[in-house]
Amino acid sequence: MLPAKVYKELEDALGGAEYVTQEPALLDSYAWQPALNITHEAWIPRPEAVVVPRTTEEVQAIVRICSRNGLKVKAFSMGWAAWGGPGGPGVVQIDLRRMNRIIEIDEKNMYAVVEPYVCGSQLQSELIKRGLNCHIIGAGPNCAQLASVTSGWGYGWTGLMTGFSGRNPLGVEWVLPDGEVLRLGAPGSTERWFTGDGPGPSLRGIMRGWGGAQSGLGVFTKVAIKVYPWPGEPEVKRGKGTLLDLQAQVPPTHKVFFLFSPSYEKFADVAYKIGNAEIGYVHCKGAVGATFGIFAPRASEKILSNPALRAMIKAAQHCTLFMLACHTERELAFQEKVLRQIMDETDGFLMDASHLPFHGMFAWGTHRSIFPAVAAFRPGGDFLTSMGSNETYDCQVYAAKLSESMKREYIDDGTFIEDMADCTWGGIYEGTSNWGHLEQIGIFNRRESHKAEGRYAFLDDTMKLTIAKSLGFGLSSLGAGYWKLYGPIMFNYHHWQSKIKQAFDPQNTADATFYIPPYDEVLKTEAEEKGKWDKMRSDAMTFRI
Amino acid sequence: MTLQELKPDMEGCARCSHCKWVPHLQIKSWRYAKVCPSVDRYHFHSYSGGGKMNMGNSYLDGRSELNDTVAQVIYRCQLCGACQVSCQCYRDDIDLADVLLAIRSTCVEQGFVLPEHLEMIESMKREDNTMYMLKADRGRWSDGLDLIDINREKADVLFHAGCRYSYDEDLRDIVRSAATLMKSSGVRLGIAGKDEACCGGRAYEIGYQGEMKNYAEDMASRVKASGAHTLVTPCSDCYYTFKYLYPKNGLDLGVKVLHTTEYTDQLIKQGRLRPQVEIPLKVTYHDPCHLGRRGEIYKGGWEGDNKLARPSRLKQTGKLGIFDAPRDILKSIPGIELTEMERIREFSWCCGAGGGVLEAEPEFAIWTAKERLEEAAATGASVLVTACPWCERVFKDAVKESGSLLKILDVMELLSQSLNGGSHAAG
Repeated sequence: MLPAKVYKELEDALGGAEYVTQEPALLDSYAWQPALNITHEAWIPRPEAVVVPRTTEEVQAIVRICSRNGLKVKAFSMGWAAWGGPGGPGVVQIDLRRMNRIIEIDEKNMYAVVEPYVCGSQLQSELIKRGLNCHIIGAGPNCAQLASVTSGWGYGWTGLMTGFSGRNPLGVEWVLPDGEVLRLGAPGSTERWFTGDGPGPSLRGIMRGWGGAQSGLGVFTKVAIKVYPWPGEPEVKRGKGTLLDLQAQVPPTHKVFFLFSPSYEKFADVAYKIGNAEIGYVHCKGAVGATFGIFAPRASEKILSNPALRAMIKAAQHCTLFMLACHTERELAFQEKVLRQIMDETDGFLMDASHLPFHGMFAWGTHRSIFPAVAAFRPGGDFLTSMGSNETYDCQVYAAKLSESMKREYIDDGTFIEDMADCTWGGIYEGTSNWGHLEQIGIFNRRESHKAEGRYAFLDDTMKLTIAKSLGFGLSSLGAGYWKLYGPIMFNYHHWQSKIKQAFDPQNTADATFYIPPYDEVLKTEAEEKGKWDKMRSDAMTFRI
Repeated sequence: MTLQELKPDMEGCARCSHCKWVPHLQIKSWRYAKVCPSVDRYHFHSYSGGGKMNMGNSYLDGRSELNDTVAQVIYRCQLCGACQVSCQCYRDDIDLADVLLAIRSTCVEQGFVLPEHLEMIESMKREDNTMYMLKADRGRWSDGLDLIDINREKADVLFHAGCRYSYDEDLRDIVRSAATLMKSSGVRLGIAGKDEACCGGRAYEIGYQGEMKNYAEDMASRVKASGAHTLVTPCSDCYYTFKYLYPKNGLDLGVKVLHTTEYTDQLIKQGRLRPQVEIPLKVTYHDPCHLGRRGEIYKGGWEGDNKLARPSRLKQTGKLGIFDAPRDILKSIPGIELTEMERIREFSWCCGAGGGVLEAEPEFAIWTAKERLEEAAATGASVLVTACPWCERVFKDAVKESGSLLKILDVMELLSQSLNGGSHAAG
């Protein structure tokens, strides 16, 4: 419970009692965070109170009140996943759902300014009306656009065209942990939001780095997001249905293909050639296990237990989901011709899905990034993810192969639901750059708490694998406190990161459980735990699967 | 099902917040993307479908207690079922709407009840209706219509008006129109008059689940005595109770149950009713929750202990609710231009009246209705048409309060107008 005086201060700052609560049952609705909850507990630490501010000024006031009274703050937008919640006691949760406006869409300069509680579907809906589109991460269109670009990490279906989370923030409004407002990029010195760099301070690396600070450096209250062309009509016509039964009419200049390659090497070649040819709008690994998860989660168990059927399906494993989305039919014809040539050159074949009955639903679902969540939820209800660093696509494919054999063991022992151990999710970024990522996702039923140990062991193994094989900084490495393991073998990045934390948050007001403590604390911890991580580090460096 | 029995459902919540949004592939704008009035009005996650599951789970884990504050959160919900539809787009193993009902039942068991709901229950016990009115006045709506009194004569179709249509004088023309045009098609239409009683569905929804059984048995005996082969109701709440709550609780009325829109749509399609008079209006249609997604027939229970293994056909997705019949009636009326809102069918925004909210939290009910009026006005329609007395009541009140220029009409009113210029019955 907060002291009555502090609680009253919060109420006054927010203009009413209805925007603050410390009722235990209500607080527990914030302490239920099963997603990416890498602990043995079903519940995360309960916040001391929850506040729902409406304006940047209210956020400033909350941060100042908490800082003054020795409390920490933790903000979230949509609030999905444990890293949006408190990492320990003494934290006030800032739920930003009342800050929900699209402030501006600048069609000419191709950016949109949004507040925290604008989800992918909302922004995309408004952008499409103006011939534009945005990046939506694979976790789904229910995720906040602001949190995605400022504070977290993610890659979406249209990443070939729209990059990834960290690529898309422009101007930013940031409430620092002392309550001051810092505006990055253009809004730092002008009324406009068109760039994240000059004019105005350019601090994107500090603000989010690679993985984002998960609100461990303060609260982002507005952001300009880079947007991209939408080659199609200003409305996707939809009839009945909600998801797999949806009737949708995608533009006639959009086509979905499934590209089948004979090996992982050829699969990677296809990706490089697509990147070099600068064609396409969507490029993703087509995971056969996940496809079963979406369309037939109950049948898959029986089908995959039949060796002959299984072998047949496995033959389709090196599959790419590819979509063309063009402005004209001529452009479409050209890109399709190039695609067919690429498949010829790589000994593969393609299936044109644009004449199949589900094409409209599938194409629109892909644009809106809806399928990964379905693939994870329908079979088991929950998932975790690993690998998936930003590296060359060859490196990703190598990582996929290794992690598949690793996941196979965890499927066989019942930790994860059968998905043929297929590497589930990823693709290449940004057209020609030929880099990208492939995530290894495990699907499970969280109610089976006795299998929790296996899930942690898998994450641990994938983390060690990335170290042993130099596969980059994977997503299973983002857990709380992992800097202790990684820092010393990654150029002591944690020292730099913790210096940033200390400089921007001298009172340590922003809960940094999923980021990093201030430098002084890091040094103290390193002194206290000297040698403790050496063995694990050494195990990781010599890890064999 | 008890809250304890539903614990696996609650433990399955991924906290993804899909329950707060229109199914994402159907979101068409920033403005009309949200689907849960409760969390939209009161903000804290606890007010959402998922949040209420989290609170229920917390209670069962002994982490928190029920009290008046928590009960208020639980009752600030119309039980509109939108959260369940959105959740079940992605999940096969969570029956969110069942959890919401079970939490209310637990509240009642633990003594956390709202005074307004207690009054309603008292009214039901004393006068067999939710409207605090006299039982003796129940059949007055039908005065002069010359309908068959099933207490004296057998009928083919039993017409159950429901509590609100029986007593709300503002809506009297609607229920009279419905009965009149059904009768004019030649059907032997009977009513129970003052002996008609509440279906009991509202009691079930506000947590007094045991109360419904008596009303259901009473209803079943009345249906049997009437000799009717079909039960027709113009009330979507009653419809939901007959089609979903009764069978879910093992109660079988033994007759076909139809909403008036279904019945009259059939008559039109059979050529027995022919709307002829042109009504030049641009209208939009509001799907009542309890006729639409909640009106989906009960698909049967699942006895297994792992809902992940449950056949998909047993999921209450809301898709089999009554959506097309009212629209088809409107389309059959010459001159009517039907334009759709963004949130329709199983992902419709609620009117605000359901789940005991109109009685206990009228301000919240009106707030929810005003949100719908704005959406309706954005279509350019001049009339918001619906097919439920509870929706009509709260929309009319919201129009009065907001100064909206929209007219609120029932499907039956428009159909009746179109029939009145010509022959009601063609066969």
